[in-house]
Amino acid sequence: MKAAHVFWISIFSGGLALAQGPRPDDLGASPQPVGEAGVAWYTTWETARAEAERSNRPIFFMAAAATCSGISGVF
Amino acid sequence: MCVRLESYESEEHQKMVRSFLDGRFENTAFCLLAPDGETRLSGTGRSPSQGLRQRRGPGRGRGDNGVVEAMEKVAKKFRAKGTKEGAILQDFHSFRQGLNVASGDQRLLIFVVATENDRKTLGTDLRDLMSDKEIIGKFHMDFADEEPDSQWRDAVKGERGKTGIFVIRANAFGQTGSVMEQLPVDATPEELKNALLEANTSFAKTEKRKVYSEHVAAGRRARVHFENGMPYGEDRDGDGVIDHRAGRGGRGAGPEAGERRGPPAGRRGGPPRGNRRPGQPPQRPRIRPGGTE
Repeated sequence: MKAAHVFWISIFSGGLALAQGPRPDDLGASPQPVGEAGVAWYTTWETARAEAERSNRPIFFMAAAATCSGISGVF
Repeated sequence: MCVRLESYESEEHQKMVRSFLDGRFENTAFCLLAPDGETRLSGTGRSPSQGLRQRRGPGRGRGDNGVVEAMEKVAKKFRAKGTKEGAILQDFHSFRQGLNVASGDQRLLIFVVATENDRKTLGTDLRDLMSDKEIIGKFHMDFADEEPDSQWRDAVKGERGKTGIFVIRANAFGQTGSVMEQLPVDATPEELKNALLEANTSFAKTEKRKVYSEHVAAGRRARVHFENGMPYGEDRDGDGVIDHRAGRGGRGAGPEAGERRGPPAGRRGGPPRGNRRPGQPPQRPRIRPGGTE
C-alpha cells in the first residue's frame, strides 16, 4: 500500500512537472524500488473498457509517451 | 481501474488524446471516466493534478494537491461488481510495444504464445493468478497476436519451442530482451506463481533503477531510435499539424516539447465539458448573439 502510494505521488508530481515542461535533465529515477508492485495498468482501450464495464469501476485514463526524442525504454 | 495508452502508438490513441485536450495533441493526457468509458467524471489535462484541480480548485488536500482524495471520492460513487479474481487480463497491441513499456516501467513481461484455443483458455485461467496480491502490479502481460508479433523471436534471446508462457526481461532500451523463465501453456497456477516470483526477485536484485536523464543521454550517444506508429512531436495549437520538425519529440524533447510557450489553447478551469466520447473530435464553439457557448 505504501509502495502504491509512493507510485501515485510520483505519477502526480511527474505529471505536474510535465505540464510545466521538464527537460530530460530535470527527471531522475522513480522512487519505487524495482520488483515492487505498482499500478496494474491496462494498455489497450479495449481491455480497459471491458474490465471497467465488467467490474463497474471508474477509469483512470492516461496517455503518455514511452519514448523521449525517439529513445525507447522510458515512461 | 487504470489504463495508460502509448500516445504515439497509433492514430486511434492520438485521437483520444485530442478528444481530452480540446483538439490539441500533447504527449500526455488525463481524465477520469465512468465505467461506460464515455462519461467524464473529471476535468481533463496533461496530468491528474491538472484534471482534478479543475473541479477542486488549487491548493487543497494533501501534498498531491488532493488528487488521491478526489479519486477516492469518485470511486465511492460506484458499487463495484464481479470479483477481482475475474479481472480481464492486460494485453498490448504488439509485443514490440509491450517490451518497450516493460523496459520503461522496469518490470518483467509475461508473454503468452499459444494456439487460438489455448489462448482463450489461458485468458480465463490466468485471471486468478494475475490478481494474486503477490503478483498484481509487478509484471506486464501480453498475448501474442499473429500479425504484429510474428517476428518476436528476432528480438529475444533464450526462447525454446513454438508455444509457452515466457517471462522476458527487456533490455535498457526495450528493443530486445532475454527469456528468464519459460513454462508450458498447461503449467499449473502454482508452478507459474513460483516461477514469476522467483524471476521477479532475481530481476529486482540485478536491475538498477534508471535515471531518466542518464538514460536519455545514453540513448542519444548510442543513437537509439524507436519507430512508433505515429511521428513524434506535438500539436499544441490544435491545428491538426505537428508543430515542429520530424524525428524529434516525445517527452522532454528539446525546446518544443520541453518548454511550454504560453498557456495551452484549451480551457484551464471550470467544470468538465460535456460527455464527448474518447476519439471523437472536439466540437467548435457555437456562435450566438452576445458570445459563444
